[in-house]
Amino acid sequence: MSRQGPTRYRESISFAGLTVCLVFLLSLSLGLSPAHGAATATDPGITTGEGFPKAEKPADETSLAPVTVQEKPSDEYGDVTEETATSGEGSTIADPIEPWNRAMYHFNDKFYFWLLKPTAQGYKYVIPETFRIIFSNFYENIMMPVRFVNNLLQGKPDYAGRELVRFVINSTVGVAGFRDVAKDGFEITGRKADFGQTLGKYGIGSGFYIVWPILGPSSPRDSVGWVGDLFLKPTSYVSSELISPEGVGLYAHEKVNYFSFHIGDYETLKKAAIDPYIAMRDAYVQYRKKLLEQ
Amino acid sequence: MKKWVASATLLIFLMLPFLAFAGVPLDTVKTNVNSVLEVLRDPKLKGEAGKKVKEQRIMAAAEKLFDFVELSKRTLGLNWNKFTPEQRREFVELYKTILKDAYVDKITAYTNEQVNFTKEVPLSENMVEVQSSVVTKSAETPIYYRVIKKDSEWKVFDVVIEGVSLISNYRTQFREILGNNPPATLLDTLRKKVGKR
Repeated sequence: MSRQGPTRYRESISFAGLTVCLVFLLSLSLGLSPAHGAATATDPGITTGEGFPKAEKPADETSLAPVTVQEKPSDEYGDVTEETATSGEGSTIADPIEPWNRAMYHFNDKFYFWLLKPTAQGYKYVIPETFRIIFSNFYENIMMPVRFVNNLLQGKPDYAGRELVRFVINSTVGVAGFRDVAKDGFEITGRKADFGQTLGKYGIGSGFYIVWPILGPSSPRDSVGWVGDLFLKPTSYVSSELISPEGVGLYAHEKVNYFSFHIGDYETLKKAAIDPYIAMRDAYVQYRKKLLEQ
Repeated sequence: MKKWVASATLLIFLMLPFLAFAGVPLDTVKTNVNSVLEVLRDPKLKGEAGKKVKEQRIMAAAEKLFDFVELSKRTLGLNWNKFTPEQRREFVELYKTILKDAYVDKITAYTNEQVNFTKEVPLSENMVEVQSSVVTKSAETPIYYRVIKKDSEWKVFDVVIEGVSLISNYRTQFREILGNNPPATLLDTLRKKVGKR
């Protein structure tokens, strides 16, 4: 591929892109976009705790169980009623390989404190914040194909369209994705979408909890999703092989750049937790569940 | 056109009582969160001495904002009933201390984050979810406060960050311990956690 190829392409697309963008802006203002949310898939792999009927799932947020008014307001330390106790009951995930997972959790914990954190700190010290934000926007922008395709697969063409518009605006006006002009200037926000989530929407259960070294919390379904998304990530194609030193290098940079904004987050989680392993597992389950319900 | 204006006006007036009601939980949370932000941005509170004052003021605001008893009850669920009244009191205090130790440091490190309160979603007759987002230069984090009305006051009993509910997260952890241990064991674990910091 010639070096100026992509640049020329971008120049030629800018007018077409602006037209597309205008059409989308019009469609957005006409209210075509909020035609979603009705199809709320439940995750068969994540089992709901007792007392929370599964059939009520789509109304999950709103049915946080009507709490009976306490008869004795003065007795605030009194017993809880069945309803209060089971309201907003969370989800759990099977953890048949807990010993392996705990070992991997400890490995990742050391990996974070011994390698990732010092690297991110040094990186943060050397690279000015402005540049780190540019990198963050850049990586976000080039991952558009992942979100575009998965939004389509999940039957959300409106969001796929938004992702496309965002990409066009940010790649042109935002100078190769350095700035998120689509959000800052036009208030067009995208929607996170990945293949694990798509599989979940299709009714595939998450299976069980699995912690990968370095990559962290996952499940068989989300692991398959992660590999699937790898094919849609432009960073996978920097070399002819799917896993190459260049690709891994880019991935590492993306992660270090990300963590340079999040030093201390994991420490807080660990400090707040009674059992950090369980806290992490639960956070993963809840986070994925929320993404599925969106 | 006139008809349209008339019906729109009518609709707005019909919605007024509802809007007035809907505003209270959000305003309550907003006021308390803003008072924390004011403390954080106070230029007079610098250094170690300032940090102490900051922590105290944040905790004062937290007491106003949260209903720690409700939060504890909902975290423990039916397990709460297995605790004796004394154990319940101790649990609430320990739980509060753990939350304070973990999050006050984090909060005092905040400086120029922007907090936007977006909307309220009714959860039930006396519960509302107040949605906000914390905007930094690189990211936007949704933070939802679940509030309950008690004696005409709105109090927070759960905080949901990026879809992760605080009380659910602790419930899973506590259940692991309470599954085959009495409440005293959990209290012991919490005491150790609070003591060793």
